[in-house]
Amino acid sequence: MTGHHGDAPPDEYVEAEIQSMLAEDPDVAEQGITVVRRERGLVLYGEVESPHRREEILRRVAERFPDLPVTSDIGVIRTQAPTQVEELP
Amino acid sequence: MVIRIAAVGDVHLDEDVVGRFRPALEELPDCADVLLLAGDLTRHGTESEARCVAQEFGDLGVPVITVLGNHDHQCDEVPQVVKVLEDAGITVLEGTGVVLECAGGRLGVAGAKGFGGGFAGRCASDFGEPEMKAFVQTTKDSADSLGAALRGLDCDVLVALTHYSPVPDTLAGEPLEIYPFLGCYQLGQAIDSAPTALALHGHAHHGSERGTTPGGVRVRNVAHPVIKQAYSIFHLGDHLD
Repeated sequence: MTGHHGDAPPDEYVEAEIQSMLAEDPDVAEQGITVVRRERGLVLYGEVESPHRREEILRRVAERFPDLPVTSDIGVIRTQAPTQVEELP
Repeated sequence: MVIRIAAVGDVHLDEDVVGRFRPALEELPDCADVLLLAGDLTRHGTESEARCVAQEFGDLGVPVITVLGNHDHQCDEVPQVVKVLEDAGITVLEGTGVVLECAGGRLGVAGAKGFGGGFAGRCASDFGEPEMKAFVQTTKDSADSLGAALRGLDCDVLVALTHYSPVPDTLAGEPLEIYPFLGCYQLGQAIDSAPTALALHGHAHHGSERGTTPGGVRVRNVAHPVIKQAYSIFHLGDHLD
Protein backbone atom coordinates (compact mmCIF):
# COMPACT_ATOMS: atom_id res chain seq x y z
CA MET A 1 0.00 0.00 0.00
CA THR A 2 1.32 3.38 -1.00
CA GLY A 3 1.06 6.27 1.34
CA HIS A 4 2.27 8.18 4.29
CA HIS A 5 1.04 7.29 7.74
CA GLY A 6 1.26 9.43 10.82
CA ASP A 7 4.77 10.33 11.92
CA ALA A 8 6.47 7.59 9.90
CA PRO A 9 9.08 8.88 7.45
CA PRO A 10 7.87 8.78 3.85
CA ASP A 11 8.80 5.57 2.06
CA GLU A 12 10.13 5.19 -1.46
CA TYR A 13 6.67 4.53 -2.86
CA VAL A 14 5.72 8.04 -1.78
CA GLU A 15 8.81 9.37 -3.52
CA ALA A 16 7.96 7.40 -6.68
CA GLU A 17 4.34 8.55 -6.65
CA ILE A 18 5.31 12.20 -6.32
CA GLN A 19 7.91 11.91 -9.07
CA SER A 20 5.37 10.30 -11.41
CA MET A 21 2.67 12.79 -10.50
CA LEU A 22 4.93 15.77 -11.21
CA ALA A 23 5.99 14.34 -14.58
CA GLU A 24 2.63 13.01 -15.75
CA ASP A 25 0.10 15.50 -14.37
CA PRO A 26 -0.65 17.76 -17.34
CA ASP A 27 -0.90 20.78 -15.04
CA VAL A 28 2.66 20.20 -13.83
CA ALA A 29 4.70 18.23 -16.42
CA GLU A 30 7.98 18.72 -14.57
CA GLN A 31 10.71 16.09 -14.86
CA GLY A 32 13.43 18.14 -13.25
CA ILE A 33 12.25 18.09 -9.63
CA THR A 34 14.19 15.91 -7.22
CA VAL A 35 12.37 14.40 -4.24
CA VAL A 36 14.57 13.79 -1.20
CA ARG A 37 13.21 11.73 1.70
CA ARG A 38 14.16 12.89 5.16
CA GLU A 39 13.34 11.57 8.60
CA ARG A 40 10.57 14.11 9.08
CA GLY A 41 9.22 14.64 5.58
CA LEU A 42 10.30 15.52 2.09
CA VAL A 43 12.45 18.15 0.45
CA LEU A 44 11.67 19.10 -3.14
CA TYR A 45 14.40 20.76 -5.10
CA GLY A 46 15.05 21.77 -8.67
CA GLU A 47 14.30 24.74 -10.87
CA VAL A 48 11.25 25.79 -12.84
CA GLU A 49 10.41 28.50 -15.35
CA SER A 50 7.90 30.52 -13.30
CA PRO A 51 6.73 31.14 -9.72
CA HIS A 52 3.30 29.86 -10.76
CA ARG A 53 4.77 26.44 -11.62
CA ARG A 54 6.51 26.22 -8.26
CA GLU A 55 3.26 26.98 -6.45
CA GLU A 56 1.40 24.42 -8.52
CA ILE A 57 3.93 21.70 -7.64
CA LEU A 58 3.61 22.40 -3.93
CA ARG A 59 -0.17 22.57 -4.14
CA ARG A 60 -0.40 19.20 -5.88
CA VAL A 61 1.90 17.48 -3.41
CA ALA A 62 0.04 18.97 -0.42
CA GLU A 63 -3.29 17.93 -1.93
CA ARG A 64 -2.15 14.30 -2.40
CA PHE A 65 -0.25 13.98 0.91
CA PRO A 66 -1.89 16.48 3.28
CA ASP A 67 -0.13 15.17 6.41
CA LEU A 68 3.35 15.06 4.95
CA PRO A 69 5.72 17.90 5.91
CA VAL A 70 7.23 19.24 2.68
CA THR A 71 10.10 21.68 2.42
CA SER A 72 10.50 23.50 -0.88
CA ASP A 73 13.85 24.44 -2.32
CA ILE A 74 12.60 25.02 -5.85
CA GLY A 75 14.04 28.03 -7.63
CA VAL A 76 12.93 30.00 -10.68
CA ILE A 77 15.61 29.97 -13.38
CA ARG A 78 17.15 33.33 -14.17
CA THR A 79 16.77 34.74 -17.70
CA GLN A 80 19.35 37.50 -17.83
CA ALA A 81 21.54 37.98 -20.92
CA PRO A 82 24.98 36.35 -20.65
CA THR A 83 27.88 38.52 -19.57
CA GLN A 84 30.57 36.25 -21.01
CA VAL A 85 31.22 34.39 -24.22
CA GLU A 86 32.90 30.99 -24.62
CA GLU A 87 35.64 31.18 -27.24
CA LEU A 88 36.01 27.92 -29.17
CA PRO A 89 38.91 28.16 -31.62
CA MET B 1 36.75 34.54 -39.02
CA VAL B 2 34.29 34.14 -36.18
CA ILE B 3 30.80 32.75 -36.14
CA ARG B 4 28.76 33.71 -33.08
CA ILE B 5 26.22 31.18 -31.87
CA ALA B 6 23.66 31.77 -29.15
CA ALA B 7 21.94 28.68 -27.75
CA VAL B 8 19.49 27.54 -25.09
CA GLY B 9 17.26 24.51 -24.60
CA ASP B 10 14.43 23.40 -22.34
CA VAL B 11 12.67 26.74 -22.04
CA HIS B 12 9.30 24.96 -21.60
CA LEU B 13 7.17 27.89 -22.63
CA ASP B 14 3.54 28.45 -21.81
CA GLU B 15 1.62 31.66 -21.18
CA ASP B 16 3.13 32.07 -17.70
CA VAL B 17 6.65 32.33 -19.14
CA VAL B 18 6.04 34.58 -22.15
CA GLY B 19 8.08 37.78 -21.88
CA ARG B 20 10.68 36.46 -19.40
CA PHE B 21 13.33 35.81 -22.10
CA ARG B 22 12.47 38.70 -24.35
CA PRO B 23 14.60 41.48 -22.79
CA ALA B 24 17.75 39.34 -23.15
CA LEU B 25 16.70 38.14 -26.61
CA GLU B 26 16.43 41.74 -27.83
CA GLU B 27 20.22 41.98 -27.44
CA LEU B 28 20.88 39.09 -29.83
CA PRO B 29 21.44 41.04 -33.07
CA ASP B 30 24.40 42.76 -31.39
CA CYS B 31 26.07 39.61 -30.11
CA ALA B 32 25.08 36.57 -32.22
CA ASP B 33 24.68 35.45 -35.83
CA VAL B 34 22.10 32.80 -34.99
CA LEU B 35 20.06 31.41 -32.09
CA LEU B 36 19.86 27.64 -31.72
CA LEU B 37 17.13 26.07 -29.56
CA ALA B 38 17.86 22.57 -28.25
CA GLY B 39 14.28 21.30 -27.91
CA ASP B 40 11.63 21.23 -25.18
CA LEU B 41 10.36 24.59 -26.30
CA THR B 42 6.97 23.86 -24.76
CA ARG B 43 5.53 22.08 -21.71
CA HIS B 44 3.19 19.66 -23.53
CA GLY B 45 3.68 20.29 -27.24
CA THR B 46 0.35 21.98 -27.89
CA GLU B 47 -0.37 24.41 -30.69
CA SER B 48 -1.19 27.16 -28.20
CA GLU B 49 2.14 26.68 -26.40
CA ALA B 50 3.90 26.78 -29.77
CA ARG B 51 2.29 30.18 -30.31
CA CYS B 52 3.92 31.31 -27.05
CA VAL B 53 7.27 30.12 -28.45
CA ALA B 54 6.62 31.98 -31.70
CA GLN B 55 5.81 35.14 -29.75
CA GLU B 56 8.90 34.88 -27.54
CA PHE B 57 11.44 33.70 -30.15
CA GLY B 58 10.02 35.18 -33.36
CA ASP B 59 11.20 38.43 -34.99
CA LEU B 60 14.52 38.50 -33.15
CA GLY B 61 16.61 39.97 -35.93
CA VAL B 62 18.74 36.80 -36.16
CA PRO B 63 17.84 33.42 -37.67
CA VAL B 64 16.38 30.95 -35.16
CA ILE B 65 16.91 27.21 -35.67
CA THR B 66 15.45 24.51 -33.44
CA VAL B 67 14.91 20.83 -32.88
CA LEU B 68 11.96 19.54 -30.90
CA GLY B 69 12.25 17.76 -27.55
CA ASN B 70 10.28 15.03 -25.81
CA HIS B 71 7.92 17.58 -24.19
CA ASP B 72 7.10 18.94 -27.65
CA HIS B 73 5.76 15.48 -28.55
CA GLN B 74 3.55 14.98 -25.47
CA CYS B 75 0.19 15.96 -27.03
CA ASP B 76 0.81 14.41 -30.47
CA GLU B 77 0.46 17.79 -32.15
CA VAL B 78 3.91 17.87 -33.77
CA PRO B 79 2.72 18.92 -37.26
CA GLN B 80 0.74 21.82 -35.79
CA VAL B 81 3.64 22.84 -33.52
CA VAL B 82 6.08 22.77 -36.44
CA LYS B 83 3.72 24.83 -38.59
CA VAL B 84 3.30 27.53 -35.94
CA LEU B 85 7.08 27.74 -35.47
CA GLU B 86 7.81 27.82 -39.20
CA ASP B 87 5.14 30.45 -39.78
CA ALA B 88 7.07 32.56 -37.24
CA GLY B 89 10.25 32.11 -39.27
CA ILE B 90 11.81 29.49 -36.99
CA THR B 91 13.57 26.65 -38.84
CA VAL B 92 12.72 23.23 -37.38
CA LEU B 93 15.28 20.47 -37.99
CA GLU B 94 14.64 16.73 -37.73
CA GLY B 95 17.26 14.69 -39.52
CA THR B 96 17.85 17.73 -41.69
CA GLY B 97 20.28 20.61 -41.96
CA VAL B 98 20.60 24.18 -43.10
CA VAL B 99 23.49 26.45 -44.13
CA LEU B 100 23.52 30.11 -43.14
CA GLU B 101 25.72 32.79 -44.67
CA CYS B 102 27.24 34.62 -41.72
CA ALA B 103 29.79 37.43 -41.71
CA GLY B 104 32.38 34.94 -40.45
CA GLY B 105 31.62 32.24 -43.02
CA ARG B 106 29.07 29.58 -43.88
CA LEU B 107 27.55 27.98 -40.79
CA GLY B 108 26.01 24.54 -41.24
CA VAL B 109 23.58 23.30 -38.60
CA ALA B 110 22.24 19.75 -38.68
CA GLY B 111 19.72 18.67 -36.09
CA ALA B 112 17.56 15.88 -34.76
CA LYS B 113 15.71 15.35 -31.52
CA GLY B 114 17.65 12.18 -30.83
CA PHE B 115 16.52 9.61 -28.29
CA GLY B 116 17.61 7.64 -25.25
CA GLY B 117 19.31 4.26 -25.22
CA GLY B 118 22.38 4.74 -23.06
CA PHE B 119 26.09 4.82 -23.56
CA ALA B 120 28.73 2.32 -24.61
CA GLY B 121 28.66 -0.80 -22.43
CA ARG B 122 25.59 0.39 -20.52
CA CYS B 123 22.95 0.64 -23.18
CA ALA B 124 19.80 -0.95 -24.50
CA SER B 125 20.19 -3.67 -27.14
CA ASP B 126 18.17 -4.44 -30.23
CA PHE B 127 17.08 -7.77 -28.78
CA GLY B 128 14.09 -9.42 -27.14
CA GLU B 129 10.60 -8.00 -27.00
CA PRO B 130 9.21 -5.97 -29.92
CA GLU B 131 8.91 -2.97 -27.58
CA MET B 132 12.63 -3.07 -26.82
CA LYS B 133 13.53 -3.50 -30.48
CA ALA B 134 11.30 -0.56 -31.37
CA PHE B 135 12.98 1.55 -28.68
CA VAL B 136 16.48 0.83 -29.95
CA GLN B 137 15.43 1.20 -33.58
CA THR B 138 14.16 4.69 -32.76
CA THR B 139 17.57 5.48 -31.29
CA LYS B 140 19.39 4.17 -34.35
CA ASP B 141 17.10 5.89 -36.86
CA SER B 142 17.46 9.23 -35.15
CA ALA B 143 21.26 8.99 -34.98
CA ASP B 144 21.47 7.79 -38.60
CA SER B 145 19.41 10.75 -39.78
CA LEU B 146 21.58 13.17 -37.80
CA GLY B 147 24.77 11.66 -39.24
CA ALA B 148 23.47 11.84 -42.80
CA ALA B 149 22.37 15.46 -42.31
CA LEU B 150 25.77 16.44 -40.87
CA ARG B 151 27.70 14.76 -43.68
CA GLY B 152 25.47 16.33 -46.30
CA LEU B 153 26.22 19.97 -45.45
CA ASP B 154 28.76 22.04 -47.39
CA CYS B 155 29.93 24.76 -45.01
CA ASP B 156 32.90 26.30 -43.19
CA VAL B 157 31.76 25.52 -39.63
CA LEU B 158 29.51 22.59 -38.76
CA VAL B 159 27.31 22.40 -35.65
CA ALA B 160 25.13 19.50 -34.45
CA LEU B 161 21.93 20.32 -32.57
CA THR B 162 20.02 17.69 -30.59
CA HIS B 163 17.73 17.49 -27.60
CA TYR B 164 19.08 14.23 -26.16
CA SER B 165 22.73 14.05 -25.19
CA PRO B 166 25.39 12.44 -27.40
CA VAL B 167 27.80 11.87 -24.50
CA PRO B 168 27.62 10.98 -20.79
CA ASP B 169 30.03 13.81 -19.85
CA THR B 170 27.34 16.50 -19.89
CA LEU B 171 25.00 14.34 -17.78
CA ALA B 172 27.27 14.56 -14.73
CA GLY B 173 24.96 15.56 -11.87
CA GLU B 174 22.07 13.39 -13.04
CA PRO B 175 21.47 10.01 -11.35
CA LEU B 176 23.46 7.34 -13.20
CA GLU B 177 20.35 5.15 -13.29
CA ILE B 178 18.57 7.51 -15.71
CA TYR B 179 21.42 8.07 -18.19
CA PRO B 180 19.79 5.69 -20.72
CA PHE B 181 16.76 8.01 -20.77
CA LEU B 182 18.89 11.09 -21.34
CA GLY B 183 20.91 10.21 -24.42
CA CYS B 184 22.74 7.61 -26.43
CA TYR B 185 26.21 6.95 -27.79
CA GLN B 186 24.89 6.59 -31.34
CA LEU B 187 24.34 10.38 -31.48
CA GLY B 188 28.01 10.86 -30.59
CA GLN B 189 28.98 8.40 -33.27
CA ALA B 190 26.91 10.38 -35.80
CA ILE B 191 28.56 13.64 -34.70
CA ASP B 192 32.00 12.06 -35.04
CA SER B 193 31.17 10.86 -38.56
CA ALA B 194 31.41 14.44 -39.86
CA PRO B 195 33.83 17.35 -39.31
CA THR B 196 31.62 18.75 -36.55
CA ALA B 197 33.00 21.72 -34.62
CA LEU B 198 30.44 21.82 -31.82
CA ALA B 199 27.51 19.73 -30.58
CA LEU B 200 24.73 21.35 -28.55
CA HIS B 201 22.01 19.56 -26.62
CA GLY B 202 19.55 19.98 -23.74
CA HIS B 203 17.25 17.58 -21.84
CA ALA B 204 19.51 16.96 -18.82
CA HIS B 205 18.35 19.62 -16.34
CA HIS B 206 20.70 18.45 -13.58
CA GLY B 207 23.61 17.79 -15.93
CA SER B 208 26.72 19.84 -16.53
CA GLU B 209 27.88 22.14 -19.30
CA ARG B 210 30.91 20.61 -20.95
CA GLY B 211 32.01 17.39 -22.55
CA THR B 212 33.58 15.90 -25.66
CA THR B 213 32.70 13.03 -27.94
CA PRO B 214 35.11 10.09 -28.27
CA GLY B 215 36.23 11.76 -31.51
CA GLY B 216 37.09 15.01 -29.72
CA VAL B 217 34.10 17.15 -30.73
CA ARG B 218 33.17 19.67 -28.06
CA VAL B 219 29.74 19.12 -26.55
CA ARG B 220 27.75 21.67 -24.58
CA ASN B 221 24.59 21.06 -22.57
CA VAL B 222 22.62 24.29 -23.00
CA ALA B 223 19.52 23.25 -21.03
CA HIS B 224 18.21 26.41 -19.38
CA PRO B 225 18.44 25.01 -15.82
CA VAL B 226 22.12 24.20 -16.51
CA ILE B 227 23.26 27.49 -18.06
CA LYS B 228 21.05 29.61 -15.73
CA GLN B 229 20.85 32.51 -18.16
CA ALA B 230 18.68 33.32 -21.18
CA TYR B 231 21.21 31.76 -23.57
CA SER B 232 24.91 31.00 -23.88
CA ILE B 233 27.12 32.43 -26.60
CA PHE B 234 29.89 30.51 -28.37
CA HIS B 235 32.43 32.04 -30.74
CA LEU B 236 33.57 29.49 -33.30
CA GLY B 237 36.35 29.95 -35.79
CA ASP B 238 40.06 30.38 -36.26
CA HIS B 239 40.26 33.70 -34.42
CA LEU B 240 42.34 32.35 -31.54
CA ASP B 241 44.78 30.26 -33.60
